[in-house]
Amino acid sequence: MSLLLLPDLFLLLLGVLVLALDLLHAKKPSASGSFHLSWTGLLLIFALLLALPYDQQFVWLGSYQVSGTSLLCKQLFILSALFTVWLARPYFRSGGNKRGRLAYQGEFYGIIIFASVGMFAVVSAGDLLTLFIGMELATIPLYILAGYHKNDHRASEAAMKYIVMGSLATGFMLFGLSFLYGAAGALDFAALKQAAMAAPASPLLGLGVCFIIAAVGFKLTLFPFHMWAPDVYDGAPTPVTAFIAVSSKATAIIFFLILFHGPLAALHTSLQMPLLLLAGATMTAGNLGALRQTRLRRFMGYSAIAQAGYLTMALVGPRAAAWSSILYYLLVYAAANFAAFFLIAIVGRDREEEFSSLRGMGKQNPGLAAVLMLTMFSLGGIPPLAGFLGKFLLFAAAAQQGYYAMVVFAALNSTISLYYYLLLVKEAYINEASEARPMLTVEPLQRTCLALLTTAMILLGLWPGYSDFVVTVLR
Amino acid sequence: MTLSHCIVLALILCAIGVYGLLSRRNLIGLLLSVEVMLNGANLNFAAFAHFRATDPVAGAIFPVFVMAVSACEMAVALAIVIALYRGRRQLDVRSLEELRG
Repeated sequence: MSLLLLPDLFLLLLGVLVLALDLLHAKKPSASGSFHLSWTGLLLIFALLLALPYDQQFVWLGSYQVSGTSLLCKQLFILSALFTVWLARPYFRSGGNKRGRLAYQGEFYGIIIFASVGMFAVVSAGDLLTLFIGMELATIPLYILAGYHKNDHRASEAAMKYIVMGSLATGFMLFGLSFLYGAAGALDFAALKQAAMAAPASPLLGLGVCFIIAAVGFKLTLFPFHMWAPDVYDGAPTPVTAFIAVSSKATAIIFFLILFHGPLAALHTSLQMPLLLLAGATMTAGNLGALRQTRLRRFMGYSAIAQAGYLTMALVGPRAAAWSSILYYLLVYAAANFAAFFLIAIVGRDREEEFSSLRGMGKQNPGLAAVLMLTMFSLGGIPPLAGFLGKFLLFAAAAQQGYYAMVVFAALNSTISLYYYLLLVKEAYINEASEARPMLTVEPLQRTCLALLTTAMILLGLWPGYSDFVVTVLR
Repeated sequence: MTLSHCIVLALILCAIGVYGLLSRRNLIGLLLSVEVMLNGANLNFAAFAHFRATDPVAGAIFPVFVMAVSACEMAVALAIVIALYRGRRQLDVRSLEELRG
């Protein structure tokens, strides 16, 4: 046993404790015990992750390996789970959301924590079986969460679409893994690496990689597998949407990083072209889709598709550049997305989650409107906010391999995205509301979280040391 | 029977599954199609374990895990189907059209 395994064990334990506490409180549905237990537990695990040594490696049973990079990914997953828990709290009170109150609070937090355990397994995988089990552990809970509004038609519809698409992706993933197994003859990464180096052009490997790109492309919302995303983002409860947008997408892109810059590194040169094509198509599809949206969460869905395109583009970079730029951008993307979803939660408390509900925000709630503006600027990539530096590093990773045309194309795409991000700012500041509406109420918890996220967006943009840190850890 | 027979059979099962997913109207039918696909992949694992693998046990174990995982997935899927049926009283895919745009 090693200290490096502790966060995973504690997270598993925390999930069980939250569910057990929920059993004790079964008679009091509005009890806040499970909420406080979840967030303190997650915060403590985050502190533990910060305290662990990042220059060591530990392999458990040959198939579960914890290294500095997997600890970095785990920080991201824990932060995402933590903000999801904070974001979800008002949804369990009556009047917390216009769509109605959610029930079964303890189980909700428990499921979030168990999904994070699955994501931990993905980033610590040492063989294909652990990778598969981790991916499923990280995905199946999301199907449940997407349909958490049990009596809402749109939520069940979203969950159904999600699970049908997700199961198709699971099927593809299994075919891909089976072909990789066939090529390598064993499931561990070392054997796969040897097989890929010995015969990079083997048809079994190629077939396997195609299936895996399709499967993980579903979760990453790569074109043409992105169709489910706007529907699910719109139908699921807002905290779940945020969790899917940040954690699930991060898991998928890290899955690619682990495979293409690890055991399949020998195939990386031949994979660059297909990945770039997918990335270009994805960012265009996302940006064009977002242009004609009027519902906020659908809009965020398309925006997230476009962001997935930028992330995929950086996969073609050299190992250190790809890892550092993608992890840095995921952090930036998480901060901006959570800020946006907190704002959507505040708006959705008494109003429909549509663009027109933002009207008059600049006069009535100037603070909120300023946060909205900063968030949209960060997502669009305007300096000095973090989104600019994040995109710069992603583009630089692709440019290091000499794909300048692609970088120009991505920069043009980013300009289109700026247009629709500014549309939201325009709604908040310039368009007047047609009738007088009561001010938006902001709970103290939401205010604190928004302050934290805004600080993160500004500080990450001014201090890019994080990506250098990732490079040091990689060595 | 050779390895290529098995792989072709597995790929045919995969194609049947995908075709079913695209063409079936009934939600339960969709779930059945997914199962056909997953079992095609299981066949693939078993075939590779038998004919090629240096580590045949791993390939034999994998389908067992897949069965457990797909059972979980189906349990969740059926729960969602029930929630849908309560609201709409039908299981037609074409009725899933509230979310679009």
